[in-house]
Amino acid sequence: MKKSYAGQLAISLVSLILGLMLAAQFKNVQKVGGNVSRQRTQELTEHIKKLESDNESLSNQIKEYEDIIKSYENVSKDETLVNELAKSKSLAGLLPMEGPGVVVTVDNLYINSWDGGHQTVQNVHYDDLLRLVNELNAAGAEAIAINNERVIPTTEIRNAGDYIVINTNRHSVPFEIKAIGNSENLKAALNLLGGVVDNLSQILNIKVKTESNISIPAYEGTINYRYAEPVQDKKS
Amino acid sequence: MWLPILGIIIGIVLGLVLPLQIPTNYASYMSIAVLAALDSVFGGIRASLEDNFQTDIFISGFFGNAFLAAGLAYIGDRLDVPIYLAAIFAFGIRLFQNFAALRRHFLIFLRKKFGNNLEK
Repeated sequence: MKKSYAGQLAISLVSLILGLMLAAQFKNVQKVGGNVSRQRTQELTEHIKKLESDNESLSNQIKEYEDIIKSYENVSKDETLVNELAKSKSLAGLLPMEGPGVVVTVDNLYINSWDGGHQTVQNVHYDDLLRLVNELNAAGAEAIAINNERVIPTTEIRNAGDYIVINTNRHSVPFEIKAIGNSENLKAALNLLGGVVDNLSQILNIKVKTESNISIPAYEGTINYRYAEPVQDKKS
Repeated sequence: MWLPILGIIIGIVLGLVLPLQIPTNYASYMSIAVLAALDSVFGGIRASLEDNFQTDIFISGFFGNAFLAAGLAYIGDRLDVPIYLAAIFAFGIRLFQNFAALRRHFLIFLRKKFGNNLEK
């Protein structure tokens, strides 16, 4: 086992570099998670399938309950009560609506990059949508839906990773905001010089068009108040 | 014999402590390079046990193999030819062969040290 000192040193130095590479690789795998094993993939696929079927059965349950509610409504003969209910529901966003209005499409603005590919200027941010919705509300929109998610008082619009969550459902570009109201007013409010669309169109691809008949779906979730209660009138 | 192991341990500790980062895009090429480097070090240890270790060949083999393997894997990815498989096979087989040679040398060394009572 007699060797030159230089040889030993060389092996040691190279081993040191190897150690560095191993550690860097290890850290990288820790960070990214490495390759997902086939078994794990299958497990997760099973899990997704199960959740999907659960989801479906729950949706069916919702439909059943809705049918029950409808049957109760039909039973009640009181005309004013039925009208009042319909009015409340439409105000709460629980009825699909239709009427004239505007359709705003929001998409990424693509520019040709130096290597011939497409590059987005900037991703659609949740606050871009919020600003549009805000402007539409200010201009008197009566019903708004983003990608067919009805906007109601509890609707959230927020970023979650690469998606934007609206009514707890994930959405991504392109977004289509439909608003019912005075279509000319809505369009004019959006297209104000220095207004929302004017600002955002520098980074996003936004198109506003008026339509004579827009249908907006009802809110599909459930609204439950667990903490809030209506104030009782103290007449006594 | 112990210096290389010490080197690896120091390297790993350094690598874990230092904020080394490889871009995620190049992580797969790094893994091929690590395999090639591992093979080279085993080869170097084997050569030194067989007393035909040459420093220049070892150093050039270490870096050359690592870069060639990573480069071929990269080109293979661009051309959609799984060249990295070839690298994995080549270096994997050599790794096992080197390890077998190392084991043989080590056992012979042990036998010499403790006399012939280990044989038969």
